[in-house]
Amino acid sequence: MAMETTAPIAAAHPDAVAVWTPRRFPRWQTVARHVVLALFAIVILFPIVWVLIMSVKTLPDAYQNEIWPAHGFDFAHYGQALQQIDTLPRNFLNSVVVTLSTVVITTVCAVLAGYALVHLSMPGKALVLAVLVASMFFPTRVTAIIAIWEVQRSLGLINRTWGLVFPYVTLSLAISVFIMRGMFETVPKELGDAARIDGAGPVRMLLQIMLPIVSNGIVVVIIVNFVAAWGEYLLATTLMNDLSQKTLPVVLASASGGMGAWVWPRLAAVYVMAILPGLVAFGIAQRWYMKGLQEGALKA
Amino acid sequence: MATTAPPPAAPASRGRGLLGQGWVAWLFLLPTIIFFIGWQLWPILRVAWISLTDYKFLNTTDPVHFIGLDNFRSAIADPLMRLGLLRAAGFTALFLPGMIFLPMFLAVLIDRIQSPKLSTFYRLILLIPAMIPGPLIFLLWRWMYDLYIGPINYILVDVLHVFTVYSQPQWIGDPRLVFPALAGMEWWWGMGYHTMFFLAGLATISRDLFDAARVDGANEWRMFWDVTFPRLLPIVLVLVVLRFGSAMAVIDEYLIMGGVNRDRPTFTWTVYMWELAFQRPPRDLGYAAAIGWVGTIAMLVVVALLFRIFRTRD
Repeated sequence: MAMETTAPIAAAHPDAVAVWTPRRFPRWQTVARHVVLALFAIVILFPIVWVLIMSVKTLPDAYQNEIWPAHGFDFAHYGQALQQIDTLPRNFLNSVVVTLSTVVITTVCAVLAGYALVHLSMPGKALVLAVLVASMFFPTRVTAIIAIWEVQRSLGLINRTWGLVFPYVTLSLAISVFIMRGMFETVPKELGDAARIDGAGPVRMLLQIMLPIVSNGIVVVIIVNFVAAWGEYLLATTLMNDLSQKTLPVVLASASGGMGAWVWPRLAAVYVMAILPGLVAFGIAQRWYMKGLQEGALKA
Repeated sequence: MATTAPPPAAPASRGRGLLGQGWVAWLFLLPTIIFFIGWQLWPILRVAWISLTDYKFLNTTDPVHFIGLDNFRSAIADPLMRLGLLRAAGFTALFLPGMIFLPMFLAVLIDRIQSPKLSTFYRLILLIPAMIPGPLIFLLWRWMYDLYIGPINYILVDVLHVFTVYSQPQWIGDPRLVFPALAGMEWWWGMGYHTMFFLAGLATISRDLFDAARVDGANEWRMFWDVTFPRLLPIVLVLVVLRFGSAMAVIDEYLIMGGVNRDRPTFTWTVYMWELAFQRPPRDLGYAAAIGWVGTIAMLVVVALLFRIFRTRD
């Protein structure tokens, strides 16, 4: 079957003969490859499509398990969820504020640190790098959670949503510094030297000359930190007590589906609202993200 | 914050050389260092100290005593702790091979695709789960595995008729199925992300090597093991070490999927530590910290061993 489908295409193509003859192995492998990859793509997409459909099912359909609804769609769950679950808009806002602050602070930290580690001469550079690498192998968030809780308590930040920003910044700080360091290493030293001779100080050199060159790496850092902070569960559930102070993932995890205000489609609607910002942002930024990965962010 | 460093006149700054610049460099690092020390280094040291005390948070009247390694002695002898380590190791053993070989397989497939558009398309689809934060993934899969509305059992029972409502697999509830179910979920989540690592590795292999092997009459299978795999080995080793560490220290998955029930397989050393510290009166922080350290040290010892083994291979 595979041979039949590819043969006419190969024949129709003007360069077909040239492409075809030197190959030792038959075309059916190409088709098999695409079939396998398409299967994986379906497996990846299925849960997401399922939850999308669930969020627009009518209530009777929601409790019938058919994947495609029989009674049409009902888009009202999105509005209802935000109206009928009173703390939900607040929880949403909490997540947005905490995540945005975390992303901004970590990105600034990582850009400054990555730049200094590559383009400024400093004593103790090797030590800083060694400590950062070591920290990436240590499960701080788990092992040290008792002491993180204590630090937050002594600062009066228990049950204060914005206090989560401090431990969240460190979640991906080391890896972010490393990503930026990898990016800054791709900038030739001569560029920095040339700028210095022209009278540019380290700050101007970073902002005007280096920043545009490493911008793809910044996209990677932003995405890494967004994902880490937007969904963080353990610290948020441990450090916040009141429902109104909790972040979206914690509220979603504790909501029991099918009950009262949390009927299944509404729960699914909240879920879609929770994952959509990230997916849309990724859709927009994927070009730079992929470039950033290729340019040096992946150098492990 | 640190942008206050005044840009001195150019000739002067060049003349001052190393000393002036080193100071500026540390200024650039300052924000990172503050966060790093405050919420990473200090908590680690502090939790090490707590593990040597009998600090029980709810016994507010008792003074806190230094008790040396007593907590560690009890932790090592604690059957629940041993079971917790074993459970974590069981999950890791199940999770690790799939998390390495599935992405490698996918990367080899994608690497051969001629059309750049299709290749980017597959990469993007595979990366979608990596853009969803972990805990939200776990929630989604809690619904996937649900007995009433979950589509997996709907397909198995109502579409394929492999099971009935009475014999259907209780993915999360069945102690024998919960780890395979969680591993499947983790693979779904990490597949694309790990594929990118292997694709980056594959991109560095020269096409000529394959052509030469092909001329020598090697088939795909031989080519993979003789040409591709040795060149991907460094990536495999790094991923084994990284994923071993993260799998042994999993906690969010277990809390979201299994709660804090001591009888369930998901009650590993991490959940045990968290339960002792934050849930179970009198909130024995000292003992919980020791549990955390024993688990962490056990994990780090294996990580160090893996590093040694892999180093000597080169």
